[in-house]
Amino acid sequence: MTVAAGIGYALLALGPSLSLFVSVISRKPFLILTLLSSTLVWLVSLIILSGLWRPFLPLKANVWWPYALLVLSSVCFQEALRFLFWKLYMLSTLIHFALLLSSDCYAVLDLKKRLEDVLDSFADRISRPRLFLTDKLQIALAGGLGHGVAHAVFFCLSLLTPAFGPATFYVNRCSKVPFFLVSAIIALAFVTIHTFSMVIAFEGYAKGNKVDQVIVPVIHLSAGMLTLVNFASEGCVIGVPLLYLVASLTLLHCGKMVWQRLIESQNQSGSTLR
Amino acid sequence: MAMGLPRLVAVAFTLALVSIFPPLPFSLAGEITSIESVPDLQKLMYVAVDGYPCVRLLNLSGEIGCSNPGLSKVVAPLIKLKDVKDLVEPHTVLVTADEMEDFFTRHVPLCSWCLLNISVNKVTFVVSASGANDVLFTRMILVSNDLSFASKIGGVLIESGSSFQQKLKGLSPDKMFPQAEFSPYKNVEYKWNPMASSIMWKAYNFPVYLLSESGITAVQKFLSKKDMKHKTYTSDVAEFNMVMETTKAGTHNSKACLQEGTCLPLGGYSVWSSLPPINVSSSNNRKPIVLTVASMDSASFFRDKSFGADSPISGLVALLGAVDALSRVEGLSNLKKQLDVCILQLVFLVLTGETWGYLGSRRFLHELDLHSDAVADLSDTLIETVLEIGSVGKGLSGGINTFFAHKTRVSSATNMTLDALKIAQDSFASKNIKILSADKTNPGIPPSSTMAFMKKNPQTSAVVLEDFDTKFVNKFYHSHLDDLSNINSSSVVAAASVLARTLYILASDNKDSALGSIHVNASFVEELLACLLSCEPGLSCNLVKDYISPTNTSPGNYAGVMSGEPSSNPYLGSVGDVSRFLWNFLAEKTSVQKGNTTSVCSKGSCSRTDQVCIKAESNKEGTCVVSTTRYVPAYSTRLKYADGAWTILPQNRSDSMGMVDPVWTESNWNTIGLQVYTVQHSAYDNAVLVAGITVTTLAYIGIMVAKSFITKALKQD
Repeated sequence: MTVAAGIGYALLALGPSLSLFVSVISRKPFLILTLLSSTLVWLVSLIILSGLWRPFLPLKANVWWPYALLVLSSVCFQEALRFLFWKLYMLSTLIHFALLLSSDCYAVLDLKKRLEDVLDSFADRISRPRLFLTDKLQIALAGGLGHGVAHAVFFCLSLLTPAFGPATFYVNRCSKVPFFLVSAIIALAFVTIHTFSMVIAFEGYAKGNKVDQVIVPVIHLSAGMLTLVNFASEGCVIGVPLLYLVASLTLLHCGKMVWQRLIESQNQSGSTLR
Repeated sequence: MAMGLPRLVAVAFTLALVSIFPPLPFSLAGEITSIESVPDLQKLMYVAVDGYPCVRLLNLSGEIGCSNPGLSKVVAPLIKLKDVKDLVEPHTVLVTADEMEDFFTRHVPLCSWCLLNISVNKVTFVVSASGANDVLFTRMILVSNDLSFASKIGGVLIESGSSFQQKLKGLSPDKMFPQAEFSPYKNVEYKWNPMASSIMWKAYNFPVYLLSESGITAVQKFLSKKDMKHKTYTSDVAEFNMVMETTKAGTHNSKACLQEGTCLPLGGYSVWSSLPPINVSSSNNRKPIVLTVASMDSASFFRDKSFGADSPISGLVALLGAVDALSRVEGLSNLKKQLDVCILQLVFLVLTGETWGYLGSRRFLHELDLHSDAVADLSDTLIETVLEIGSVGKGLSGGINTFFAHKTRVSSATNMTLDALKIAQDSFASKNIKILSADKTNPGIPPSSTMAFMKKNPQTSAVVLEDFDTKFVNKFYHSHLDDLSNINSSSVVAAASVLARTLYILASDNKDSALGSIHVNASFVEELLACLLSCEPGLSCNLVKDYISPTNTSPGNYAGVMSGEPSSNPYLGSVGDVSRFLWNFLAEKTSVQKGNTTSVCSKGSCSRTDQVCIKAESNKEGTCVVSTTRYVPAYSTRLKYADGAWTILPQNRSDSMGMVDPVWTESNWNTIGLQVYTVQHSAYDNAVLVAGITVTTLAYIGIMVAKSFITKALKQD
């Protein structure tokens, strides 16, 4: 398929992530760290899962339910890890906030004194919640992007090496498009889902919003289960568009949620000024 | 919260949709090939096709055979011959034997193919049925001269299963009179081989590959996938990796390539053995010799698929069956005692390289002249007569095995041989063997090693035993189809039986009742045929493994090249499997036991000079037996090996055969392989790249828009 096609597939899967990284993440070093740690967490989760499932592999390729079980257990585990990641994020936000403050006003001093000062000035700073809001969202975005990039690299990019050679490959069960193209498209969908569901999840945990907290695992699970549709002959014709439906729903929900938060923060700051 | 609910409902609905799928009959259609790693994926993408190549051979005046035209792999879309007329673009068409003739009688003119708007320069032709070979390659003869047509061919794949053998009348890529330049008589236009097409002696500037059974399946699978929807922007290609070193180095004849070291001369190791072993002590009582000759090498268009079942392996197996029978004559010591008083010494000689200018016989005769080590115990004795066993696999007809005795000239020696044959024939109770004299209208002996003996010494008395009279009955002479199904094992058994008894009569001059006790073991002959003429079990059969550890399972009875220095005591790694098997087998069968002690030999050498170490490969320790069995190198008398390189000696008038010797060499190569894969059109590749760039750019724009929107919304405060 040659180098052109190989680069094309890589860009399809990871191009938007690259755009997001360049425009948002790369501006703040802390976001890069968040992205990397989130990628690492996701990969570790995969390693643990593969270790747990190793005795049962390889799964029989002509029945679907072991794969459903695999997807279910993986999603549950990863959602649990997401919650843990959020807890870590809370801790890190505090430290991040402290660093922000310290870099704004003070020279580097004793850390204990810093943290006390942090707590003291916390009340003052509350009057400017919008910075705090975008920071939080960006961190969540970086976390989500880390998960998405890890997914794309693991499930698409690692298989892409043969795509740079002269030959192409078609799978019998999805014979309309090359295997690499389908894999890149699915990876793109998952990148979108992971990135924006992390934003939804963090907001849900922070605000205690049950809907947001539940919707994320539901989205993740349904996306995972939808890939099982590809098992059917020419199933990818149905499966992939449905997957993109889920991805767009995620994107829309996230957009709506961010919009709501923005309006809330505007009202809040307006009322504070009065 | 009320806003989130519709979202939740939507997603829950999707999940419910998914959960409906389980009860529906999930058609997990298609074959299940699990890919567990990237190398697995690559193996599925690039399908290696198994087959037999046609390689580049060179002689003093030029080249024959096939190779990639340049230094790189040949990649060409697969095309069947059949659909070419229907489509503008070349496509792969499979032609079966019966369709082929119809196709050509409809006079598809050669040039219509070049008149069609063929945009693709190189195409790979897949030709099914070996019948197609004949007609296609006759056309190819024109091809090698017709450059415009040749430029349309990237490579050729031949599909030939055993099912085609019944349909075909015959196919022989050799000449009408094979090796006519070595003929001792003037009539070189005589048509010994009526099915000849001479295609193996031409040079082709493209790779040709004979597909094996698994190779045919692989290619068929690819061609059947053409029905898939994506055929408009993909094409299946075959990639030939058959770059020959002589093409790379630009050496296009034997002399140049031997100088550059890009080729090696054809040759091997012949084996001779005497029954009983020649007693070195009684050097004054050397008896005249009956030399029984057979050859072990064949050739075909495809280097590794040349069983040569009828020509000449049937003769070789008959000889081995006879040796086996003679060694088992009741009361072995009786035979030895009788042979001690017999009048003639039996010597069995199996030659190799006979297809390529009678290398084995010429070198053997040359070594005799030189009194070299290889023929030390033979050189100063008289060869009374020669009895050659040629093709004897097709003598069975109507329950009677008929063989023809072609004699070189009328002499007392040939009469003695013919008489012995007659007596042997009559000694069989079943009366199903007939030995007839060859037709007097034949110009002389058929193409055989005896021609070389005659050229060397026109007074040679020799008889050649064949299953044909005036023309070859082997319709697949020197073709890849001359395999086990082309011969009849009972014909070989019959030939072996009559040979054994004839030799006994000749050697002992004693026409007693012991003749009736000489029986050839038919199951041994059949087992040996399966070992030497098939790939299952091939050389890994028990019979062969008892003597040697074979390096290949499939016996390629092609002579091969001479690697390393030729010597009478060669490094066994450079000696072919069949030669080593013959040496060990003949040594054991012609051995005598002096006393009851058998000693072991671990390093291949025995303490006594009259002993040889046999079976040293298969068992770690061999056995020392008293036997006179030697290797004789077989290579052109025009070649000399010195300082690690081969040089061509100038022509020598005393060596008349050397004057007409083409000096065949085979080009070296790095790897030879064929793989088939699907390729996307470059437009599709570029579209994918553009799509990727577009998606990236659109995402970037979207992100920028969102960012500015959020910033603006925040600044509104």
